[in-house]
Amino acid sequence: MPMLRVKRRTIVAFLLPMLAMMAVINLWPILYTLYLSTTNYSEFSSDNYRFIGLENYRQLLFSFDSDFFPVLWQTLLYVVVCVSCFLVVGMLTALALNNSRVKGLPFWRVVLLLPWAAPSGITALIWKFLFQYDFGPFNQIGRLFFGPQFGIPWLLNPTLAFISVVIVNVWLSYPFFTVVILGALQGIPGELREAARIDGAGPWQYFRHVTLPLVTPALVPATILSAITTFQMFNTVFLITQGGPVVSALKPGATEFVMIYMYNRILGATVANPHYGFIAAFAITLFIILAALTYLGSGLGARSPRASSIREARA
Amino acid sequence: MSQQLPVVETRREQASVNLVVGQSRRLPPGRRTSRLGKRLGMVGLYVFLTVMAIFALFPLYYVVQASFAGAQNLYTTDLHLFPAHFTLANYVTAFTQEPLLNWIGNTLLVCGLTALCGLICSTSGAYALARFRFAGRELTLRALLALQAFPGLLALTAYYLLLNTLHLLNNLLGLVLIYSAGAVVFSCWNTKTYLDGLPVELEQAALLDGATPFQAFWHIVLPLATPALAVAALFTFMTGWNEFALANLVLNANANGSNLTFILGLYSLQSDFRTPWGIFAAASVIVSIPLMLIFFFAQRYFRSGLAQGGLAN
Repeated sequence: MPMLRVKRRTIVAFLLPMLAMMAVINLWPILYTLYLSTTNYSEFSSDNYRFIGLENYRQLLFSFDSDFFPVLWQTLLYVVVCVSCFLVVGMLTALALNNSRVKGLPFWRVVLLLPWAAPSGITALIWKFLFQYDFGPFNQIGRLFFGPQFGIPWLLNPTLAFISVVIVNVWLSYPFFTVVILGALQGIPGELREAARIDGAGPWQYFRHVTLPLVTPALVPATILSAITTFQMFNTVFLITQGGPVVSALKPGATEFVMIYMYNRILGATVANPHYGFIAAFAITLFIILAALTYLGSGLGARSPRASSIREARA
Repeated sequence: MSQQLPVVETRREQASVNLVVGQSRRLPPGRRTSRLGKRLGMVGLYVFLTVMAIFALFPLYYVVQASFAGAQNLYTTDLHLFPAHFTLANYVTAFTQEPLLNWIGNTLLVCGLTALCGLICSTSGAYALARFRFAGRELTLRALLALQAFPGLLALTAYYLLLNTLHLLNNLLGLVLIYSAGAVVFSCWNTKTYLDGLPVELEQAALLDGATPFQAFWHIVLPLATPALAVAALFTFMTGWNEFALANLVLNANANGSNLTFILGLYSLQSDFRTPWGIFAAASVIVSIPLMLIFFFAQRYFRSGLAQGGLAN
């Protein structure tokens, strides 16, 4: 790559505004969080906190009453369930939209991609309304068929609440996969289809041995990105359940995923003495996991520029 | 799915292939019975598309119709898919009794300033990373990647203390400052990647002719990079408007809640003792329509590859 030759102080002048800004708003918060994670800083001990080494990490990872692993598992379960649903729904819709014999393709395309355009924060609140027990339309529809006593406690039952936030996330995210897969499908040359037909391949065989291998290179980065985004999801789930429903005061709520857990331990209404040091250790551990996932992801597939810019816009 | 071409054309194709290979002209077995299967397949396809369309549209449709419905339609256990008594009262109330315009104004201000701050702080730095060779360049690029993987939410406590020190708590500018953390990193990558693709010869010529590096940057590079800058601004602008957690950390609602961003405002409507669903629906519709239009406008850039930010290098 050709470079320009300039004086050293010119380089400094060009870089300084960015580096100064980043030092204050990017670097310092991270380093301070790292520092906090080695102290016993809490709301009550804010005047006389001290360095306690790795005690917070020990408590987080090895203590029996630590919520870390339950929260981590339920987050990972959420990621796996959501991403599988994205893949299936995205693949089916993309295949349907790629079929040129369907009439009115532009119409179907706009309709099926509409959830992507809707601002996710607002739609999360709309979905909360839809799940509402008494006035929510889902239960109203159920009452049409099963009588006035009918009611599904969507957001009140732990399992149903988990399913609800999966449904909402699928609604929000499948269009991204539809677009990615559709783009890959349209890159498959038509001759392959001809060749496969002449060789006597059925639709399933064609899908399994031609479509899938050709779509996979585009799917891998999209899947990794989406897994990382879902892992650190806060907005949508919090706006719908606040991490609840909470069954027992000692256990985290059924939809209390890592970010929500962290947030609730600091700003939650029931937390009298937020233990900032401990939460900082939680945050640093999460960052290590995220960084490892990102690193693994960037090794698995070259990240497509389209995918990452979309992630930025969606975040 | 497998048969895209009309049957007639398939036969011709088949025939020509058979001529070349010299095999029998019989169609493969099962071709005749698959006629029915094909028709059933198309029916299934339309059923699937319809179900997906209902899934995609229902929440949006429901909130639009709810915004025109009176309370008697909303606070009932029966299903109403059409407003029985069409009314604009919800819209009127949203504008007159709720500080909706303040929420929209605050959000536009925060997102706009974030985009601006991201550009101002990052563009010259991105130029330096794209064009100059210096010690620590590789390190800076790697650090940018690492920073991008760090969600701002993890540093919640640190941000709180930072804003407290700067006296920016409960101030929209404090929110701008936090959001800028992501915006600077994103804009820098986006612009740097774009500049990597621009020829360096123009600037070299300008420097030979006696221009200072700043003049070359200002008069040559900036005009050429305008599309990338616009896209970066658009994306950072869009990043902020759904954000809840950090906004909730920084902003405390005042007496009538006029200092909030709209996502906080809509949330506060829902957390009321008695949720005013109709007003909430009307406010959601008002806010969503311009946002969706902007999104459709911005969506063209996803395809054109102009936005190359993120981890793409």
